[in-house]
Amino acid sequence: MSHWNSPNLGRMMATVAVVIGGTGVPPVAHGQDARATRELKPAGEATGTLAFRDAMDYAQKRCVRLYGGGAGREHGYATGLLVSPDGLILTAQGIYLGSDSLRAVLPDGRRFEAKEVRRSEKLQAALLQVEAKTPLYFNLADEARVEQGDWVFAVSNTFNVAAANEPLSVCLGVVSLRAEMEARHRKQDVPYEGEMLLVDAITSNPGSPGGAVCTLDGKLVGMIGKLFQSVNTRTRINYAVPADMLRRFVEGKDDKEETPPPVEPAEPPPGQGAYVGIRLFKLSGEKAPAFVDAVAPGSPAQAAGIRKDDLLLTIGQEVVRNCRECDEALARLRPGQEVKVMLKRGMTIQSLMLTPAAQSEKPK
Amino acid sequence: MRQVESLLLCCVPRAACRVPGKEPNPAPVRARVPSPFSRITHHAPRIFRSPARGTRHAARNALFVLCALLAPALAAEEEAHPRLVSKAFRAAAAKVLPSLVTIESYGGVLAPPPPPKAKGGPMPRRRMAPVSKPGEGPTTGVVISPDGFIVTSTFNFLRQPPVITVVLRDGSRHVAKLCGRDETRGLCVLKIEGVKDLPVPAVAPRGGLKVGQWVVSMGVGYGGDAPALSAGIVSALERFSGKAIQTDANLSPANYGGPLVDVEGRVVGIAVPLAPGGGAAGEGVQWYDSGIGFAVPLSDAEPVLARLKKGDVLRPGKLGIMPQPGAAPGGGVTVQDVQKGSPAQKAGIQAKDIVLAIGDKAVRDLLALRSLLGRHVAGDTVSVKFKRDKEEKTVSVTLDAGEEQFPQPTPLIPDHHPPAPKQP
Repeated sequence: MSHWNSPNLGRMMATVAVVIGGTGVPPVAHGQDARATRELKPAGEATGTLAFRDAMDYAQKRCVRLYGGGAGREHGYATGLLVSPDGLILTAQGIYLGSDSLRAVLPDGRRFEAKEVRRSEKLQAALLQVEAKTPLYFNLADEARVEQGDWVFAVSNTFNVAAANEPLSVCLGVVSLRAEMEARHRKQDVPYEGEMLLVDAITSNPGSPGGAVCTLDGKLVGMIGKLFQSVNTRTRINYAVPADMLRRFVEGKDDKEETPPPVEPAEPPPGQGAYVGIRLFKLSGEKAPAFVDAVAPGSPAQAAGIRKDDLLLTIGQEVVRNCRECDEALARLRPGQEVKVMLKRGMTIQSLMLTPAAQSEKPK
Repeated sequence: MRQVESLLLCCVPRAACRVPGKEPNPAPVRARVPSPFSRITHHAPRIFRSPARGTRHAARNALFVLCALLAPALAAEEEAHPRLVSKAFRAAAAKVLPSLVTIESYGGVLAPPPPPKAKGGPMPRRRMAPVSKPGEGPTTGVVISPDGFIVTSTFNFLRQPPVITVVLRDGSRHVAKLCGRDETRGLCVLKIEGVKDLPVPAVAPRGGLKVGQWVVSMGVGYGGDAPALSAGIVSALERFSGKAIQTDANLSPANYGGPLVDVEGRVVGIAVPLAPGGGAAGEGVQWYDSGIGFAVPLSDAEPVLARLKKGDVLRPGKLGIMPQPGAAPGGGVTVQDVQKGSPAQKAGIQAKDIVLAIGDKAVRDLLALRSLLGRHVAGDTVSVKFKRDKEEKTVSVTLDAGEEQFPQPTPLIPDHHPPAPKQP
């Protein structure tokens, strides 16, 4: 904490205004020499102090604007992060990557054609290369630790409002949560795997993906990811792909190496599923709550103590909100593997252990 | 940690903020966390551009620009370190966490079909806000009594789920019964049985709230065990006839029904979606995460909560007059017409009367009348002072929900079982 040199919040906020408002910001220096003189060292190094403005300045000089082709509601611009001295750029996946000419505009205004190096399906990210020396970059090895409630700021080409050499937009917020969550893009499920760092700064805007999310001392905590909707809330989520996951991707650790091969397929092949022996009450549709309409005599369900008119609430760890979800959860069960089932009977909740049998044991 | 403590004492007089054992500072540390904001943020709500995403940027930008202008004046005060503020956010959230519950709903359909068109009447309005469907995930609630009453937002039950369960922080799951709801505040109360000694959070007195003070919102709507946290300030103290306060903390389906907490860990209010249009279920959700969010303060909602616990449904109270727009000469609202059978007619109010006051509050114009009536719900009795031919009269009127009453959705009965017919 000592390196903070007791900055005061009021002043810090004021500096944010200066950065956001674009007033009083010294014009971005051109050319290597000028930039070198303005380069800032991350906190903890030589100077030991780094004010809020400096942290933002530091981050802004390491973000690029990307331009490709857009289509329909998909915008053709985004943000990228410089992550190496020889022109490697991290960004989020989007339609702009598919464009014939993908251009990167560096913070000093230089423009380069960017080539795609590789993609990560898991992170919905991409690594690009420009033929330029970029002495200012985010060092992914320099890991930042953040807790819930810590201040972070996002730097991005949001709505493409920063023109020519204007610095990118900065937006302030706190870390909301780091968690895995189910996400969708338009109506499709998203192949994103792993945790997301939710922030309460608004980052789910066109052009923001690929932007930097940094701590107050300028360290990168994540990259704003592709625009997704949360399945749970149906709202757009403001999140960053955590920096540690980005580092593994840039270091070239293949996606496949990272994910252990699935031990079992998500759903057993047809005919090999488990036999439980319940029939759900589906007269009012798949979205109806999973009330048990009948329990087959001698079935695993009966052995577990499930009765007619019980309402299934959870199967294993999964909450089953309706018949469809219940069917899906039952289809994933394996013969012989005991699961905890929670059900509502009258106004009480019962917890039972269910051991499904093999389909072959189903009475004909 | 000591710094955090002094920071948490932000509402006590300066002298109490001094760190014990130290010489009193000549200029005592003012640990009032939000002070750079508190004087200026009343401008923020005016930045009501489009109710869309990005409004928040506008609000914050404006804030910061104002800060920039005021910075020299503020520099004299020593402010809390940003990291201490973060620490305070975490400490505040941790205090309320034990009272936070996860609400799960089972089944339910989205919008009720619009009521049938009455013969010759206008096409009935669909009581559903033009928003995307609510999500399918869990929602948030707050324990308000040790014996299992839980307050949450009506938004969380837009699907009218026949079955609701509540998961407490200790992981236990309980069947919940939906008690009453307040349609004017967007609040409802759940009850779980067989519990005792549930932790009830402290409630921040409304009188102590200040525009510009830090608040933290929490919600479990994104799923998972831990709640997501978002921070902001109180933007306004009086919204929707004083029923709600406004904040710039991100409020969304992820935390509707969840608490808005001050830095001392006291519940300021319950996050709900509200919109000036009012009425339609779920209206206001289009402002999610926009920097314009609303919370219903708990401190003065005690009488309301008592009614909700009993199972009452509170609806907006209507007089049943058609007013002339604007103000009558000399103040008041001219009655253009009185609806047949309405409370106003029953009380003897006629066309061309001029409404002068509701209760002891003078009615300056139509907006004032709306705002004053907005403080009441159907069933409340208010005194209405009006002028007829230079003669002033005061009558007592019992408001009703108006004739715009739609068939209410079937009540949410938690122990509802499927209807009798058997599957073939």
